[in-house]
Amino acid sequence: MPKIKSNSALKSILVLAAIALCSGLLLGLFRIITYVDPLTTTYQKFAEDTGASFSQMADEEGAAYGDGEVVYYAVSDDGQWHAFLAEGKGGYGGGVQVYVYIRGGVLEKLVIGDNGETFLSNLEAEGFYDQFIGKEVSSLDVMGADLVSGATKSSTAVRNGVNAAVEYYIEHASGGEA
Amino acid sequence: MQTRKFTQTFLGGLIRNNPTFVLVLGTCPTIAMTTSLFQAFAMGVATTFVLIFSNLFVSLLRNLIPDKVRIPCYIVIISTFVIIVQMVMQRFLPDLYSTMQAFIALIVVNCIILARAESFASCNRPLLSMADGLSMGLGFTCALSLIGIVREFFAGGSFAGMQIPGFPAMGGAGASAFGFIVFGCMMALFNFLVAKVEERRKAAQPLPLAAQAAEVTK
Repeated sequence: MPKIKSNSALKSILVLAAIALCSGLLLGLFRIITYVDPLTTTYQKFAEDTGASFSQMADEEGAAYGDGEVVYYAVSDDGQWHAFLAEGKGGYGGGVQVYVYIRGGVLEKLVIGDNGETFLSNLEAEGFYDQFIGKEVSSLDVMGADLVSGATKSSTAVRNGVNAAVEYYIEHASGGEA
Repeated sequence: MQTRKFTQTFLGGLIRNNPTFVLVLGTCPTIAMTTSLFQAFAMGVATTFVLIFSNLFVSLLRNLIPDKVRIPCYIVIISTFVIIVQMVMQRFLPDLYSTMQAFIALIVVNCIILARAESFASCNRPLLSMADGLSMGLGFTCALSLIGIVREFFAGGSFAGMQIPGFPAMGGAGASAFGFIVFGCMMALFNFLVAKVEERRKAAQPLPLAAQAAEVTK
């Protein structure tokens, strides 16, 4: 009797393992088919959002500032746009990626990238982004921005990402503009 | 006989067993993803893809999967197809993916998919299971799109992203509470219409001989 039980348990384990293995192989195949270099995707996104061309990353290593970090930073070929891909920690579903675009010392545009948040739509409805967009970077108090109730963690993560980009810009890229 | 079974299965998911309006399954994405028609439609298509292929594989492996580990096996199969949808969307529709990312991952725990795997695909042949997945998926997509049309119209004053002139947007209509109200009203309307059609269909059918004889005796 115990032998029959152990055989059935073994069969269950083997079947589950075989299905998991096949799933892994299938996912590996799809990963190969759909893989895109993140750097290329970021270039494309920068160009798409600003209408300018970007041919070289100014910083591929990035830098951390508090709970946010700059992942990539590039300057447009005409030198007008400073484009950042930043990631803010503290979201409900992990980090939130934010594309931050600065032109002439003014934060012109914010675009939300990869994230695992389910309440991000509340941020736009509550005018959260208006606290940053169109503002002079030199006088911008990012960490003093009001969070959105009902999406506190999501807005915290976005704020951390924006803060990292702004801090980086002031420290490295403003060149007297800000 | 076979064609009839296919037709019954197919129409079942669309109308009689509509997953959203009749079975009331998958309420979380129904409320979360119906703020616009486009998002609702995309969610429906993604779920349909997962439903068809998870049903197919559950059905193909139904005699092989031991009863004790059937749920973990179904979850592995379902999550594989959800990740495939994620990868394809990330590669070819990055903008849509960034707005729907969290909800696409949640398809794994959408009870429509697990319910169909457990109650239908695990005891039916592969083609019929695929037909069931397709019909359930289409039923879900249609329901989500209908709710999406109404919510987008009220919340944004638009249809499929196109602004309707002279119609002001009502900010609060985008909230989940309004979503529940629209969902409830549409569910009531759908079931009312289905019941009416059924009633008419029954009335149009000739009575069986025994019943006719009883009527005459009266």
